[in-house]
Amino acid sequence: MSISKFKTSCIIDDDPIHQFGLKILMDRANFSQEVLVFENGEEALNGLAKRLKEGEELPAVIFLDLNMPIKDGWGFLDGFVTIPNINTDKVTIYIVSSSINPADIEKAKTYEMVSNYIVKPLGIDQLEAIIESL
Amino acid sequence: MTVDFSPFHQLDTPFAIIDKEYTYIEISKQWQQQFKLKKTFKGKKFFECLPELPEEFQIDVSYCLEGISSRSDTKRIVTSCGNSVWYQWKISTLGGHEVNNYLFITLEDVTDKKLEEDLLYKTQEVAKIGSWRMDLKSNTIFWSDMVKTIHEVPLDFKPDLEKAIFFYKAGWSREHITNLVSRAIASGTSWDTELIIVTENGKEKWVRAIGEPEMVNGSCIRLVGTFQDIDARKQTELELERSKNAFADSIKNSKVGMALVSPSGQFLEANESLCALWGYNKEELKKLTFQEITHQEDLEKDLALLNEVINGKRDTYQLEKRYFDKKGQIVYALLTVTAVRDQEGTIQQFISQVIGLNERIKNENKLKKLLDITTNQNESLLNFAYIVSHNLRSHASNLALVCGLVNNNKLSASQREEAMLHLEKASSSLNETIDHLNDVVQIKIGGEQHLEKVDLKKTISNTLKGISALIAENKVAVTLDYQGTPNISGKLIYVESIVLNLISNAIKYRNTAIPAKIAIRVQELNDAVLLEVEDNGLGIDMEANGRNLFGMYKTFHKHKDAKGIGLFITKNQVEAIGGKIVATSSVNQGSTFSVKFKKHQV
Repeated sequence: MSISKFKTSCIIDDDPIHQFGLKILMDRANFSQEVLVFENGEEALNGLAKRLKEGEELPAVIFLDLNMPIKDGWGFLDGFVTIPNINTDKVTIYIVSSSINPADIEKAKTYEMVSNYIVKPLGIDQLEAIIESL
Repeated sequence: MTVDFSPFHQLDTPFAIIDKEYTYIEISKQWQQQFKLKKTFKGKKFFECLPELPEEFQIDVSYCLEGISSRSDTKRIVTSCGNSVWYQWKISTLGGHEVNNYLFITLEDVTDKKLEEDLLYKTQEVAKIGSWRMDLKSNTIFWSDMVKTIHEVPLDFKPDLEKAIFFYKAGWSREHITNLVSRAIASGTSWDTELIIVTENGKEKWVRAIGEPEMVNGSCIRLVGTFQDIDARKQTELELERSKNAFADSIKNSKVGMALVSPSGQFLEANESLCALWGYNKEELKKLTFQEITHQEDLEKDLALLNEVINGKRDTYQLEKRYFDKKGQIVYALLTVTAVRDQEGTIQQFISQVIGLNERIKNENKLKKLLDITTNQNESLLNFAYIVSHNLRSHASNLALVCGLVNNNKLSASQREEAMLHLEKASSSLNETIDHLNDVVQIKIGGEQHLEKVDLKKTISNTLKGISALIAENKVAVTLDYQGTPNISGKLIYVESIVLNLISNAIKYRNTAIPAKIAIRVQELNDAVLLEVEDNGLGIDMEANGRNLFGMYKTFHKHKDAKGIGLFITKNQVEAIGGKIVATSSVNQGSTFSVKFKKHQV
């Protein structure tokens, strides 16, 4: 087994199929040692804040879905920067959505911390490219 | 020395008798006064005692002395002081052939008479007035030259009664003059009338004919009168009358409503179009002021403009405003007001032109409504297209993802088993989504044309019956409150779906920690029926999610059945039958969904 590129990564998506598939692909690509999974934006913000509070590292990469109940991807992005004591420099966020609405893609560009907008389905090639780029 | 006058001295004629030597033999008192002669005239020379006389007179006197038996004439002399004096004279020899040694001379200053005649003549000439008379005893008619000129007959024309009557135009004019003449002869009444003649040359002319009978012992012996050519004046008058009538007619028949309004706003006059526009008859309208029938919100603007006219800042203004007609309905109109001022500039009255705009406004509103519907439809279509692509895509991408994994041999047995389960789930989700889309497509926004009467009360009770098991199972307390008519205008299948969705949502998202309560209220409003469904359930964070509440595939609770399709469909169904839906909610307090339906109009 080769060494994983990242220590921790994170999937924020309410779709169990996507969670399942992405985890398998990340495993194959040796993406990270640990994968955190949250079902929506609200859950993710709470989980990450708790982690920070307990002195644990934030995930280096976050795969963020847009369309989720309770709090969607945009809500997560707005809330993320307001987590106390957060250093967003060490976190790279990829939006992974099945939306091809140009308005969503344009809106994603307005968030500085969003590195790229990936249209589902996400493939192993894309994971490898991310490993290369970071 | 005293002078002896002959008995002829008293004669009322200015005469003098002279002999061959131009010596006065005798004069009348008249002559004496006329030429201011002293009583010592006898023996004096004739011309010495007289003023300047026309040369022709002197010549005539000398002719007569030379043997011509008589001369007479009327001539003018311009005297050395510049006066113009007319003299009329007659000279005759006295005593036949043997004794023509004396001349009998009458000489008279006729200047005043002459001027009067001249004036009369000129006046008649200018006024084209002629005179006529008819002698009934001799049955003769006399026409003056002017009468002949008016008739365009030669001056030697000899009229008689038949010819005279025949000149009047056949029909009314001829009948009228015949009656007037007969009546004058029979009963001595005079006439003064305006009629048409046809001249000798065939030209029609208006004339004024005046006739006066002369009665002797109760019977008419003569008719006298004047005859005046009034064609030019009459034509002008008739022209004026015609144009006046044409103007009055055009106002009367105008499609534009017109009124005369007093400075205080009272209607003085109104045409039929205006009466029709407002539904008042003319008499009713005359009792009203424009202020009384103007919509309150437009009155201030109208009065402000009117004041500018009154203050002379403008002569006219135009305004789109609302009136109330007799039935109290709003009448949209374009008003144009023009001031009528007297010579001092004081406003006498206003002329108001009112063009009804209801048809236009109605069409504009219709157009606006159509535009709204189209915009709405377009928006929801666009929204729909993205959402469809998103959801169909999400299932498709899941299928692609899982298929990709399954084709790879690196999967463990348990992973493979899980992958197969996901495949099955993804394909059934895809199916479900397509069903939802079908539901959504069924709703035609703006398709209001086939609305029917729906009894909301009955629909609610049927719905509650249908889900009574669900209500019982979850121990939900349902209260009902109806006020006014429950009859709405809608489509039964939509209304059933709306009611079911709102009630089942209230049950689905109840707060399991406390006893669930649902209050259903139906209330009649002015032109709507309001349905409220209030619960004491989980509630929704309106600040965060309010704008997405009725969006497609928006979910707000981690509920196993939350699909994010129900409220989207509900909203579309409500709007499809012309209603509106809003919600108020707070987390853990509950939600209230309010639907305003169109009231069924009987």
